[in-house]
Amino acid sequence: MSVVAFERKRNQVLWSEAELDTIAAALNVSIASGEGRSWETGITEKGDAQLYLLGPLPDQACELCVSRIGGRYILEDGSGQLLFEHQSLALVALHAKAAMRSSWSGLVARVALLWCTIRYMIHDRLEPLLTESEEMLVHLAPQLAAFA
Amino acid sequence: MKREKPQEAFAEKPSRKVVPEARQLRKQAGDWLKQRRADAGLSQVDLAARLGLKYYTFISQVENGFSRVPTETMAAWATELGLEPAAFAKHLLLYYEPELHRLLFGAKK
Repeated sequence: MSVVAFERKRNQVLWSEAELDTIAAALNVSIASGEGRSWETGITEKGDAQLYLLGPLPDQACELCVSRIGGRYILEDGSGQLLFEHQSLALVALHAKAAMRSSWSGLVARVALLWCTIRYMIHDRLEPLLTESEEMLVHLAPQLAAFA
Repeated sequence: MKREKPQEAFAEKPSRKVVPEARQLRKQAGDWLKQRRADAGLSQVDLAARLGLKYYTFISQVENGFSRVPTETMAAWATELGLEPAAFAKHLLLYYEPELHRLLFGAKK
């Protein structure tokens, strides 16, 4: 596979205020959710701008990355999977917002699944043990009382 | 979203801000990878092409210390950089999972 290379326009290395406003508007909910999320900007070896949405402390791993290459915006996740690409940053930002939502709902689903699993294990394994020991106590109690 | 941050590379930021250890270690891993890539005579675009990536932006993401080399592609990264995969993975583990590295291979800093 060949890597897509674009000619870069001069004076377009850093993010413009308008670009940051667009991304901020889309991702503000995620950043403001109080989970310690933050963002950083960076540049590639060729001088293309990148914006990283970082996960909560202490790891602060990159969850989403928006890169601008030759007027085209690239949205990737933290493992390099290409999620979306378009010339419209607004559209890319919307996809970033959707990706953040899905990761949050995925987390909620995993927590719910974990809770259900624990409940099931308690119900399935622990309760019979407790019932058994309770029955044993009922049988042994009179004998223990007789000894006392 | 905060807007007062300077738009410069992570590597060039002043060190006044307290950076979590995991992030610092990822940055060190990124610097090490950048050096190995330079030793192999490859640009970020070259390496991305060899790894079958459409864009080279993920290479930058990793080298800037924001992401890790995914485990499933570590062997490919090592091969393209001319390194032995096991030694490559072992070295990256030093940065990505230092405690696990210490448990497996003993203390080394």
